[in-house]
Amino acid sequence: MEYTITSIAPIFLFPFTAFVLNAFFGRKLPREGDWLSVGAIFMSFVWACRIFSDFIFGKFSTDYYVHKVFNWIDLSFGEQIFKIDLGIYIDNMTAIMLLMVTGAATLIHLFSTWYMKGDEGGYGRFFIYLSLFTSAMLGLVLADNLLLLFIFWEIMGFCSYSLIGYYNKKERAGYASIKAFMTTRVGDVFLLLGILAIWSVVGNVNYVDIYSAISQGLFEGKVVLGISLATFAAFCVFMGTIGKSAQFPLQVWLPDAMMGPTPCSALIHAATMVAAGVYLSLRMYPLMQLGDITHFIAYIGAITAFGAATIALVQTDLKAVLAFSTISQLGYMVIGIGVGSYNAAFMHLITHAVFKACLFLSAGSVIHAVHTQEMPQMGGLRKKLPITFMCMMLCTLAIAGIPFFSGFVSKDRILGDALYWGLFSGQSKVHFLVPFLGFAGAFLTAFYMFRMMFLTFFGTPRDQHVYDHCHKETFSFNRNLPLIILATFTLGIFFSGSLTGQGIAKVFPKGGQEWFKILVEAPQVKKFESYTKEGFGFSDTRAEKSWEKAHYHHQSGYAGINPENEEGIHHAHVEGAIASIIIAFSGVFLAFLLYIRRTISPDKFVNPLRCWYEALRRKYYFDELYIDIFIKKVLLKFNEFLAFVDMGIYDRFAIDGWEKVNRVLFKASKWFDDVVVDSIAVDGTGTSINIFNLILRIVQSGKIQLYFFILLFVLAGYVWTLDIA
Amino acid sequence: MSGLLNWILWLPVIGMIAILFVPKDKKDLIRTFGVVTTSITFLLTLVLYAKFNTSIGGMQPEFLIKVPWIEQFNIFYSLGVDGISLPMVVLTGLLFLICTVSSWSVDKQVKSYYVLLLMLQSSVFGVFFALDFFLFYVYWEVMLLPMFFLIGIWGGENREYAAIKFFLYTFFGSIIMLVGIIALYYATGKGVDSFNILALQGGHFTKEVVTLFGTEFSFEKLFFWAMFLGFAIKVPVFPFHTWLPHAHVQAPTAVSVILAGVLLKMGTYGFLRIAFPIFPMASVEYSTVIAVLGCISVLYGAFCAMAQSDVKKLVAYSSVSHMGFVMMGMAAMTVQGMNGAVLQMFNHGTSTAMMFLMIGVIYERSHHRWIVKPDGSKGYGGLYSHMPKYSIIFIIGMFASLGLPGLSGFISEALIFLGIFNRFTTITVFAVLGLLLGAAYLLWMFKRMFFGEASAEVKSYPDMSIREVGYMIPLCVAVIVFGIYPSPILNVMKASVAQLLDLLGKFS
Repeated sequence: MEYTITSIAPIFLFPFTAFVLNAFFGRKLPREGDWLSVGAIFMSFVWACRIFSDFIFGKFSTDYYVHKVFNWIDLSFGEQIFKIDLGIYIDNMTAIMLLMVTGAATLIHLFSTWYMKGDEGGYGRFFIYLSLFTSAMLGLVLADNLLLLFIFWEIMGFCSYSLIGYYNKKERAGYASIKAFMTTRVGDVFLLLGILAIWSVVGNVNYVDIYSAISQGLFEGKVVLGISLATFAAFCVFMGTIGKSAQFPLQVWLPDAMMGPTPCSALIHAATMVAAGVYLSLRMYPLMQLGDITHFIAYIGAITAFGAATIALVQTDLKAVLAFSTISQLGYMVIGIGVGSYNAAFMHLITHAVFKACLFLSAGSVIHAVHTQEMPQMGGLRKKLPITFMCMMLCTLAIAGIPFFSGFVSKDRILGDALYWGLFSGQSKVHFLVPFLGFAGAFLTAFYMFRMMFLTFFGTPRDQHVYDHCHKETFSFNRNLPLIILATFTLGIFFSGSLTGQGIAKVFPKGGQEWFKILVEAPQVKKFESYTKEGFGFSDTRAEKSWEKAHYHHQSGYAGINPENEEGIHHAHVEGAIASIIIAFSGVFLAFLLYIRRTISPDKFVNPLRCWYEALRRKYYFDELYIDIFIKKVLLKFNEFLAFVDMGIYDRFAIDGWEKVNRVLFKASKWFDDVVVDSIAVDGTGTSINIFNLILRIVQSGKIQLYFFILLFVLAGYVWTLDIA
Repeated sequence: MSGLLNWILWLPVIGMIAILFVPKDKKDLIRTFGVVTTSITFLLTLVLYAKFNTSIGGMQPEFLIKVPWIEQFNIFYSLGVDGISLPMVVLTGLLFLICTVSSWSVDKQVKSYYVLLLMLQSSVFGVFFALDFFLFYVYWEVMLLPMFFLIGIWGGENREYAAIKFFLYTFFGSIIMLVGIIALYYATGKGVDSFNILALQGGHFTKEVVTLFGTEFSFEKLFFWAMFLGFAIKVPVFPFHTWLPHAHVQAPTAVSVILAGVLLKMGTYGFLRIAFPIFPMASVEYSTVIAVLGCISVLYGAFCAMAQSDVKKLVAYSSVSHMGFVMMGMAAMTVQGMNGAVLQMFNHGTSTAMMFLMIGVIYERSHHRWIVKPDGSKGYGGLYSHMPKYSIIFIIGMFASLGLPGLSGFISEALIFLGIFNRFTTITVFAVLGLLLGAAYLLWMFKRMFFGEASAEVKSYPDMSIREVGYMIPLCVAVIVFGIYPSPILNVMKASVAQLLDLLGKFS
């Protein structure tokens, strides 16, 4: 297929057109136009498959990319030059992302036609937002520059806001939606600053130009606000990731975002939008290295991965467990970026998107059947919901890191790299904390995910009423097919053939069994060094370039660390894998003991650690800190104070006070007039005083126009006497 | 075509005179006259847009008009249009058309209302067209008269206070400006060009000195501040902003729309047309002050807006905040910043007009504007589920106002930030907080008004009528189209902006 903007644009335009048509005519269409949304995203999926096959199986070399631009804003006139170009950038990573996004979105759209059915007055609205969201996400993936990315990034934030507030009769939905939008916008504002900083150096923000500027050393020596501009920009861009991917300390919005309908949680708050934050940091990875903030990133990821996992331990709401596990898994991706495990971080993004989307859809299937989200009211549901149970089980195995499943493949590689980074890379051993927290989080993940499964599907029904009202699941196309397809792709063989021999290798001629590892590599800025800016037009000149594939080497992204130590890396990976497997199984086993065999009561842990338990239940008091203390006690009080000062003091005294001053002056002059002038110069100047009195009376009676004319003449007279040289 | 500006300028006056002959109890006829007049005027502004030559910077020679008026003082009736005034002219045409339609529900002294509204329109056009400083000043002052009565007669419960305050405050500013005009008159030796704005431009006064109270001052710097005060009060920039909340809260809907949509832009337009080109050296020198005041306005307006429980006052403060962005963009004196500022003037005009119109719509139903009533109970609540059309249009206006990409506010703010980052990095870092706060107060207001169960009172409100939806649609279209593709506006302004920047560039 010919790669031009017009041939690629449909992938974005299909869902966007569906959005426009449904927004205007959705109410008049049969089924409120859901088929339009589903059909459109399926068409995008077909397009994505074509791109994927071209890039992954096809004729291109592995580091081939397509970059096309068109002019959006041109302010140039004469000597004043300023342009903004937008465009598309497609490489292997884009191709994989496109397939994941369109695939997951198609299945989630399909599932929504079942889940949202019968929703009074909102069914059409749901699909309108879903289509807009999907087109924005696809636009973001296709974008060739940070500004366009930012545009779609915010539009996704808007859709997220609207869908979280979907059940608008609930007050809580209102709070949750505003919380989500505002928290992510904190990150967005930083991201905008980052974009501005990069623009000030590169004069542009497209990826290719940024890579080129980095390799040419344009960032060197630039300082902003007393710190290196590269660090400032990298930090600001990473703050965008923190906001969107719900990393510590901006993780607070994601659990509340579960107020939205479950399919939207699956699409937006699990598979795509929250992953977009990680995608941004991956794209800007060379900048992160240049700005030397990779340690910061690794620690943020580790704190998030571990912290969120601990909170998930005590949640009783099915979706809340999944929300915290999403935060935690995103934390692993961020660890991956921090420790230089670029490829594995991206791989985890994809594998996580698949199994987490499936987990959420399964949860939706359960919730729809039992009409509650509280796990204490469930139990024994595997007999009633066998298909959902099977799918959810496969995904749980994947997320828990059980061998042969996708989550194991990707998470283990991140942890292995983290282990190498923390212990063997020659830096201070203190950084062992990062892999330690990672492994500890992995143990907790296995435990809480199986706790969730056991509480929901195993044992005896805890609430007989709920159980009895749950209909037995029979296969239905739009409910179960998405689950089954997604669950299938939780198998590890799709992502890495190393555990299954050569079978799958033949499918992927380029890279064989480790196709994913080979096709995705950190941007090598060196390649972009020789690249010079050329003229832009509607059809770009530097469209399709490709280099000889660099000799495949173990991913060498370790910031400032010798990448040649392959043996050390391999060593770390073997140890890491063994540790992962032991940890995962022991987590599962502990959950088994607590919730199936019940040999140990969970209360044994809870009772002595009551205050910790409470802290976890309250999510480490972040909501209290941000909302009750910062917003209510500080921000709102400050606002009220300022508004009071503005109207009650400044306006009342400093502005309206002039009226009082004038009155006093007039009274004084009237007194002067009545007492002094009248009594002293009794009748002598009667006429002139009468005129003066008349003026005063006019002024005091409030005829301001006249007053101003007098003032005007006085001022004009004064200016007249000015000495103008 | 040379008479086009005359037609645009005087057509409202013709309509006004026509209305004067209509008996005052034929209200619908009066309203129809008003709408017809503004429609034709708007069409003429579109003709002007279509005829505009985008490749010329500065005044379009095709449209120039210059006729002697008061010859003894070298005062001319001199009109012209360039890329900076054109967007404002089209915006004026559009907003007045929308306002005459939206004012259909006004029932008190309809005749005087429409007469004053059309008089206001003519004087606003006058300000944007005038190329003679005296003419500019006349229109600047004439505009106060209809505004004073429109607020004072058709306003809310505290209208007289607000009207007088508005009048005195802006009059104070224009008096100071007048001093500057008179000073320029003498400084140029009372010659043929002493009121000619175009001839005064170009930095002719950099070396002039003026003695005041026995001290020597630079003429340029001193009178830059005179102009600054006159325009800054109009914008309004912190600390001259306190007339705005009063005027907005008390003014009837259409007047609020005009006030926020057009009149505030006259302040920033004054900077671009008069203060910057006539005093370029002082402008460059004091641009930091302008940027800092702009930044303070952005934050201060946003903080104050968040504390308001009257929704109209909230939007009034948000105007202070958004006009602060325009000030910052102008102060940047870069291509992006300056174009962004002019674009923001237009975009703020459309988005804030939407907000005020939407508040007007709900006010006609509820007769109050409390987000939270003074007794602590909810003013509204549940509008989302009860009034879907209203909610959708409100969301579009609100998100345009808070700068969501894809809607118009974003691109102008982004251009402004791209413009100022290099020059005023610290200020930028503070000002981006304005984006955060802007989202906070608007969304919080939205949450409190629209979410939750509708009360019995709210359930009695009908959703928007066809007329109400009808006059919102042009604004929705403008907000969305220019958010995605701003070039139709940017293309007409860029040449004129570049010319101004070239001039300023000589002094930096």
